[in-house]
Amino acid sequence: MASMDIRVGDTARAVSPAALQRSGSQTILAVLTGLAALASFAIIFLMLFFLIAYAYPAIRFNGIEFFTSGIWNIGNQYGSGTMTRNGFSAQPGASFGALVFIFGTLLTGALTMVVAVPLSLMVALSLVYTVPKRLRPIANALVELMAGVPSVVYGLWGMVVLVPWIGEKLAPWVTAHLGFVPFLGGSAGSGNGLAASVFILSLMVIPIMVATTRDVMLAQSNSLFEASMALGSTSWQAMTRAVLPSVRSGVVASVLLAFGRALGETMAVLMVCGAAINSYPENIFSPVNTIAAVIVSQLESALTDASGMAQRSLAELACALFVITLIINVVARGIMRGADRREGRAA
Amino acid sequence: MRKTLALAFAALLAAGALGSGKAMAGTSLLETGSTLVYPLMNLWVADYQKDHKDVQITTQGTGSGTGISQAISGVAQIGASDAYMADSQMKSSPMLNIPLAISAQQINYNIPGLNNKHLHLSGPVLAGIYSGQIKYWDDKQIAELNHGIKLPHHEIVPIHRADGSGDTFIFSQYLSFSTPSWKNGPGYGTTISWPSVGNAVGANGNPGMVQTCRNTRYSIAYIGVSFLDETNKAGLGYAALKNRSGRFVLPNASTIHAAASALGSKTPRDERISLVFAPGAESYPIINYEYAIVNPHQQDAGKAADLKKFLMWAIAKDGGQQARFLNAVHFLPLPEKIVQLSKEQIEKIK
Repeated sequence: MASMDIRVGDTARAVSPAALQRSGSQTILAVLTGLAALASFAIIFLMLFFLIAYAYPAIRFNGIEFFTSGIWNIGNQYGSGTMTRNGFSAQPGASFGALVFIFGTLLTGALTMVVAVPLSLMVALSLVYTVPKRLRPIANALVELMAGVPSVVYGLWGMVVLVPWIGEKLAPWVTAHLGFVPFLGGSAGSGNGLAASVFILSLMVIPIMVATTRDVMLAQSNSLFEASMALGSTSWQAMTRAVLPSVRSGVVASVLLAFGRALGETMAVLMVCGAAINSYPENIFSPVNTIAAVIVSQLESALTDASGMAQRSLAELACALFVITLIINVVARGIMRGADRREGRAA
Repeated sequence: MRKTLALAFAALLAAGALGSGKAMAGTSLLETGSTLVYPLMNLWVADYQKDHKDVQITTQGTGSGTGISQAISGVAQIGASDAYMADSQMKSSPMLNIPLAISAQQINYNIPGLNNKHLHLSGPVLAGIYSGQIKYWDDKQIAELNHGIKLPHHEIVPIHRADGSGDTFIFSQYLSFSTPSWKNGPGYGTTISWPSVGNAVGANGNPGMVQTCRNTRYSIAYIGVSFLDETNKAGLGYAALKNRSGRFVLPNASTIHAAASALGSKTPRDERISLVFAPGAESYPIINYEYAIVNPHQQDAGKAADLKKFLMWAIAKDGGQQARFLNAVHFLPLPEKIVQLSKEQIEKIK
């Protein structure tokens, strides 16, 4: 906030509002910002349009099977002839069912939120209210540093440290001792899989959520917390009953941002997910795959498909990811607006 | 902020100047693809560049799928592939498939206590493991092939390639040619639709296969022979495989040579042929030509000339086929007849 104030001051000193109006640059500014705002819509719309146009043959070829089947097979490139459906052809034996990847995307994203949301809220609350003032700058800097680490670095660490540890230590112990709990028993696997993906994704989204929710809490004046404490509540009660409800929409927004990041994260997940094909996870250590990861890992194979249907089906996957993200956004916004209306506040 | 921007800009300019300077010094060729060929290319290029300073050759191990597609798109001049191109691909983008050497693939496993023994495995048993019908190491079908070895009652973790791969191609050919149910099911290709096996893992490249197999106890993997030193260092075991005559053979120079001579004479002029599951009592069942996928119509005449020169060197007896290169990666040299066919193909590059 502080840096922003300074910048506003600088501008005011350099060009006074009166001078702006005189030169007519305000009109230019209005036009430019208007165009920029329009461009952001146009870019999203055009991207979706061209993606759908490119994927159209796949959409026709795959039909509803795309969403109901879990069998992904680009077909036999060394086979003879082609197979044709609805006027579009692919390699013989091709089947593009995306259910495994859609399921894997939503599952890793949702489990990441289950792990990351409570942790992030606790970290943010402690950064604002309980960590000693002198340590806060260091703690804040660490959180921001974590948010700035490129995803491939998390992926590499996951691959060489986390995955072997899960495969050799954690998974065998958990399946042996806690195997009676649903989704914790069964095969211990190799360490690559759901647990590793969720762990890595959590590491990546927690700093984002902490940074955004912390800022929302800081923007909220301290009086709410202090008033609540003055009324005799414990600091835990003050945080959960007074502070959290007041910053709810900010928290939901940051959770959404993080969920979007988790759904679309590609490289780090690709490096630890075990690249499951045609199989659903049996327990939390099973290999999984996500839409984003499979687009990368299958792209080069798809490029060898002379019929081009594999590439177009990957584009259809990209459309699906686009739409899933959009739906989640719209639904969450609806929930927020509904909740705000019930409390008699403007959204 | 402004200072950082200026610095970044200056760095960009400097990088641009450096890049263009290098390009002017001579032609640059890009080789990309098979991670199995990658160790050999590194040996070749390092040696070749000592005498050919005017050409800059860059090598990348990215997988055969990438090699083929980037050779077609023109990003790379040489696409290295363990698999020859399919008819359907050849029809839409005709390319030269030029054998550079003969390679093989071993079946590796990580079974504590048994990695110093060569288990006997067959195509149908591997097909059973990779399709989830054989789940445990002490399964009756594995035990039948390995009398006198105490197999552990542990779940098998099958590891396969997640990227498009020539290793997947020759491995799935071995399963297809030896097991009818696999042939009619997943079939073969650089990418296949793996049957649903709960704990099967996908790994990237041969290095990824070695790492995953080393880190995962009771796993099994198919890995190119140029990584034999790495798999030995990682302490993995490798299997004796059942060949067409019903004998169990280990991958070594004599068994690979036996298989290559059994099918080498049948190699057609365009050199696209599978050497997998060759007849002969001594033949190792998973061997293949390592291909350079090259566009016969290069955009740049200078590049075409340098490309021809390098490829001719690569297949020459006193060039790339010398034992000091090939032995290091456990490849075998091309037979004389195949060298001739490859020469004819290289001549077509324009």
